[in-house]
Parts: sequence; C-alpha cells; structure tokens
Amino acid sequence: MKLKKPVFKMNAHLGYIFFGLALCLVPMLVEFGILRSSYITLVGSVIIYSIAAIGLNLLLGWSGLISLGTAGFMGLAAYIAAYLTVDLKLPFEVGLLMALAIPLIIGILVGLVSLKIEGMYLAIATLSVSEILRKSFEELGFITNGFSGKTAGYPKLLGFFQLDRNMTYVLLVIFLVGVMILIHNLINGQMGRALNAMRGSEAAAQAMGVHLLKYRLVAFALATGLAALSGVLYIHFIKYTYPPTWSLGMSLNILSAIIIGGVRNIYGTILGVFVVFAAPDLFLKNIPYFGSMPGFAYIINGLLIILVIMFYPNGLIYLGSDMKKLWIKWKAKVNR
Amino acid sequence: MSTFLQLVLRSLETGSIYSLAALGIIIIYRTSNITHFAQGAMGMFNTFVVTYLFTIAGLPLPFAILGGVLSALITGFTVDFVIIRHTKKVSPVAKQIITLGLIMIFVGITPFLFGVDPLNLPQLIPNGSMPIGGASISYNGILNITFGLGIMGILFYILQKTKWGLAIRTTASNEITARLMGVPTKTVTMVAWAIAAVLGVLAGVMTAPFTSVTLNLMDGVQLNALIACVLGGFQTFYGPVIGAYIIGITKNLLVYYVSSVWGEQLLYLGILIFIVFRPYGLIGKKIVKKV
Repeated sequence: MKLKKPVFKMNAHLGYIFFGLALCLVPMLVEFGILRSSYITLVGSVIIYSIAAIGLNLLLGWSGLISLGTAGFMGLAAYIAAYLTVDLKLPFEVGLLMALAIPLIIGILVGLVSLKIEGMYLAIATLSVSEILRKSFEELGFITNGFSGKTAGYPKLLGFFQLDRNMTYVLLVIFLVGVMILIHNLINGQMGRALNAMRGSEAAAQAMGVHLLKYRLVAFALATGLAALSGVLYIHFIKYTYPPTWSLGMSLNILSAIIIGGVRNIYGTILGVFVVFAAPDLFLKNIPYFGSMPGFAYIINGLLIILVIMFYPNGLIYLGSDMKKLWIKWKAKVNR
Repeated sequence: MSTFLQLVLRSLETGSIYSLAALGIIIIYRTSNITHFAQGAMGMFNTFVVTYLFTIAGLPLPFAILGGVLSALITGFTVDFVIIRHTKKVSPVAKQIITLGLIMIFVGITPFLFGVDPLNLPQLIPNGSMPIGGASISYNGILNITFGLGIMGILFYILQKTKWGLAIRTTASNEITARLMGVPTKTVTMVAWAIAAVLGVLAGVMTAPFTSVTLNLMDGVQLNALIACVLGGFQTFYGPVIGAYIIGITKNLLVYYVSSVWGEQLLYLGILIFIVFRPYGLIGKKIVKKV
C-alpha cells in the first residue's frame, strides 16, 4: 500500500494551508449573508471533532489498536479547561496546557496497559476508562456542576486579546491545520514506517528493531492529546458541556466517521466527520416530510455506515479517484 | 446480615439481566466474530414492541412478551440475512462498526414507530414478596432469577448435548473448517443472531419495570454486559455469564458498603486492574499465535 496519497497535485503542506484558508472563508461568506450564521457553529464543530478523529485514526488506522475512550478524554479536557479558566480565572493558555497534560498522563498509562491486552479487550478496557470519567463528571459537582452543565467563554489570548465567535473559529482552523501537518509529517517519517510495521506483524516489527513500547506510548499519547485538544476547543467554542455528551455514543460516532471517510487518510477523516456530524443538519432536515420525522438522520447515518463498509470499505475519500479511473477506462473503451 | 442477604438477592436479579445480554453478545462473537454493540439497541427496540402490544394494543402481558420474542426472532433473522451474511470479506475492525450502524438504525426507527414519549411496562407479577432469612424478595424477582437461570440452562444444554449445539460450537471454533465438514454455517449464524435478539428482549423486559421504556433503556445493560464478557473472557460461553453475576453482585455491594457515589467507578477500576494481570479474563486462555 502506498503511504502517501496526495489529494492535491502539489506540496502536501501547502495543500493543508490552502484547505485551512478555504475553511476561513465560511465566516466571511456568513458576513456577506450568503450562508446562514448557524453554519459557523456547524463547521466549527466539524473541525473540533476532526481533530479528535485524526488522533483516533492514528491509533485505529496506523497502529491497528481500537480505542473507545475518545469521548472520556475529550470531556475530561473540556471540564479541566472550563474549571481553570472560569472558576480559577487562569489564562486560556494555562487552561489549555493543563487540560492537555492530565489526559496525556492517563493516555500514557493506557498505552502501557495496551502492551498486555489486545483486540476487543483493549477496546472495552478503554471504554471502561471513559465510563469511569463520565460517571466522575456526574458526581464531582463542585468542579463539573453535575447535570446542570458547565459553561465557559470564548478564549482570551495572552490575557488581553478577547476573541469573538469568528476569531475563535479561525483559531480552530489554525489548530486543525497544525494537527494535519504534524500528523502528515509523523506518518511519512520513521514513526509512520514503524507503526505500519507494527500493524502488519508485531513479532516481525520487533525483530526488525522497532521499539514496540515506545511507539505504542507515542501513538496513545498523541491520540489522547488530540482528543484533549479537541475537548478544550469544544468548551471554548460551544461554551457549554454536560455529562451525557461524553458517553459511548460520541466515541462511536468518531469511530464511524473514520471508517466512513477513509482509514489512514487525513482528508478522509475530515470528510467522514462532516458526513456523520454535519450532513444530517445540513441536508437531511431540508428533505420534505422525512426531514421532520424523528430519528430520520440517525437512520440515514446508520444505513450509510453499513453500506459504506459493505460496498466501499476503503472509505468515501477514494470516491473521486475511483470515479476518475472508471472515467479513463470508459473513455479508452469508447475511443477504441 | 439480613441487609447483606437482601443485597445479594437483588444483585442476583440484575446479574440475570446482565448475563442474558452478555450471553447474546458472546454467541454473536463466537459465531460471527463480531462484538455485538447493538445487543442493547435491538433489545430496546423489541422491548418497545412488547410495551406497544401491552399498552396500546391491549394484549395481556405474557402474550405481549411472546409477541416481542417473535419480533426479536424476525429482527435477528433480518439483520443476519440482509447485512451480516454479506460481510465475510470485511476487515475485523470494520465488522464491529457495522453493529454501530445497527444501533443508529434501531435508535432512529424506534421513535418513528412508537412515538417519542416514554412508556411504562409493569412487572409480570405485580406484587407480593417472599421472606428469606430476614430479607425479602419480590415474586417477580424470583421469577426473573429462575427464568434467567432456566433460559441459560436450556441454552447450555443445547450447546453441549445436541447436534445443533455441536454445529454452533464447531462454527465458533473454526468457521471455514466447519463449512468443509458440512456444517450449514450460514444457518448457524442466522440462528445465533435470532437467539441473541431474543436474549436481548428478555433482558429488556426484565429491566423495563425498574425505569421507564425510553431509548436509553438498555445503555447500562449493554455496557455491563460488554464488561462482563471481558471479565469472563471471550473464549468460552459460560465465562461471560459468570462475569455478569460477579459484576451484578460486586456492584451492589460496593455501592451499599463503600460509597454510593464512587462504587461503580471502583468496580470498573478493579476490573481494569484485573485485566492487566489476566489479559484474557477469568476463564480465557491465551491464544498462541504462530509467526
């Protein structure tokens, strides 16, 4: 399998930056009245979930380890950030660092555990970590405010630069582009080769001199770190959180986004998140009669997941290149 | 002492519920190699069928439950016939995701068919309780415990002693070889999905009187059943059942004696530590892979 599959026919990094610039057009289009104002929140949450999904893809796609703990780590980071910035009045940057550090430590512990257990055992072990965290959100009322939920404001950079919604959106885009470039560099370097070898066969990888513990820990640390980052951005962009958000359903949605969009593909992950989280709101609600039916978006999403896995297991991101191949084949046939 | 006995009796009831659901998950895992995340969702859907038949169609409860079992059989057959049968070539991880898709479909279809209002399902035996050594247990609790044990007894008898059980066990051990030996593996998986769905609806009907029938009815059961499978090990049919009873009993004891707030978290934490030391569960053995 080829490691690199450029979507744009140019330098991949430039591609990511242009992608980010294109995303920045959304608030401008809203200002001009072309798009509805709610689209900023919608695309913003796609960006937030994309960051967590790219992290999970590093585990699921490149390392071949299943984790169902994403939601727990996202929630943990969100609550820490909210507690530090709102209750303790600490600056946004301190909140961000602390909210990244604590989940990171737990993530590394899980990485240590992952050396001993594998497959579904690991998935359900991470699931119970996530459940422990979610139950704690419900019970630690003095930090999390329990079921009534916790609120936070838009971030204030460097102590004086208060961001509004559009600027926070731009901040999200900057983080997303940064994460995309970081992951791109990692998987196209030594670490990517090591992870690919480990996924193929752990014994063979070890025999070739790949340090299993090191790369497992790095993969888990990165995945939880990115989940935590997306949790911090969530609380500062959506500005509200309550425990049921961080249940198994969230982890499953992120997992299915990766499978739908394309495993081991950065743009594919984002496409998958868009399909799972935004498409129901954007398109399905506008369909007459069915749109107002309760649960219709859910049914379509479920069907889509099953259909993609059954008939298009590589993910929707390859739809374009596959169509192109078909088109070339068809043209060659006609010309002959 | 009487409190302790009371707690254990109550736990046996929850343990039965968890073990029925866990048994469904393990049967699917062994025959189709899929971790059945939708066990709870399918149970929830069919419990809605039971509730609908009881409250709106006005059938007596036993007949309503029979109707639910019938609809569970149909949903199980359909899921296998339409989806699972055609996923032989799909990668193992993607297979698990299919059940996530199933969750979404069932959770989406339920409010469409039965409305969004929460419904109520009464106990099969509405009142009366029996004193046992200072503690007391409701007749319905006794019914749940004996019924759960009975169903499991019958299933284990079928698995161990009959030709059909042999077919299921051979499919579980190695599907390709089983097919070469003339076992109709397709029918076996279809029956397995139907059995799992029936176990799911039974667990649902037992859970429903404790709360109201909503979309989240089975979330806790699903979670505890999955953890029971890990605790007991995925390699045997009886491991998860033992795990489920252990979880049911320990959870209630921890919640009562240690902390009503942190009991559940402590249990999960304990299980996590246990898995680190015994990575394949209570009963499971390590499968040695040849390189």
